[in-house]
Amino acid sequence: MTLRILFAYFLMITGAAFAVVTVLGLLRFPDVYTRIHAGAVVLTISAVLVTIGTAVYVWEFFLSLKIMMIGMFFLFSNPMATHAIARASYKRKIVLPEQYEIDAYSDYLGRDK
Amino acid sequence: MLQKISAFIALLLSWFIFAGKITADVVIVGSAASLLVTFFFSDLLFREVNHRLPWYHYLRKLTLLLLFVPVFFYEAVSAAFKVSKHVFEKNPSFNPGIVKVKTELTDITGLSLLANLITLTPGTLTLDYDRNEQVYYIHWIDVETVKQAELKKKLIARFENWIGVIFK
Repeated sequence: MTLRILFAYFLMITGAAFAVVTVLGLLRFPDVYTRIHAGAVVLTISAVLVTIGTAVYVWEFFLSLKIMMIGMFFLFSNPMATHAIARASYKRKIVLPEQYEIDAYSDYLGRDK
Repeated sequence: MLQKISAFIALLLSWFIFAGKITADVVIVGSAASLLVTFFFSDLLFREVNHRLPWYHYLRKLTLLLLFVPVFFYEAVSAAFKVSKHVFEKNPSFNPGIVKVKTELTDITGLSLLANLITLTPGTLTLDYDRNEQVYYIHWIDVETVKQAELKKKLIARFENWIGVIFK
């Protein structure tokens, strides 16, 4: 039980805690857009923390590099998926945020509030 | 040409990482596969530079890019705590809204990178970018102000300065 293993466990447990927070947020937040925030974005932090923790845990050059690369792909793909879901559900009128007071995007699309 | 060479080197390096060892057969098969992908798709990975700068500028940009990584993680973790705080409230007390934020960037790589960084930071989410007005439409989970200057300072100024220097 060296310091390195303890550090790896610390990173993994922090990531897992963020994942639990993500699930709670998905269940508790009121509408689609805020749920996207809770779901995708806190998940980014938790996924990256878990991958870094795993890379520290195995501590072997090529294997750690491979795991870090998976974490990097998370960082690339997650914002694009989040953005695509949110923009599509607004533009295709699947769910419109009607109760929002500040909504600059509906003016841009030329829609009535 | 430089674009093709850099794409080839990047692909070969990722091939080595996924193979897990560097031996003769890995090098041969990897070079063949990377050459094939480079031949068809190299313009998707890197762009040709329009104006050349002295070489030490690129070294400075690379250093700044590496320095930017811990800054980004600090911002992301602190914002994640801010969103997690809302989860544990009895009635989630926030004021979501979509705001309009002006940006000074013009470079297309910098713009898309900034949009991705805004989306990655918990609490903000880029919906669209308007090319004529140069504004981002950002969904913000807790709108505190609608004034343009304060909005800019709160949401994008912390990343925009870095991106503006790196991708000029």
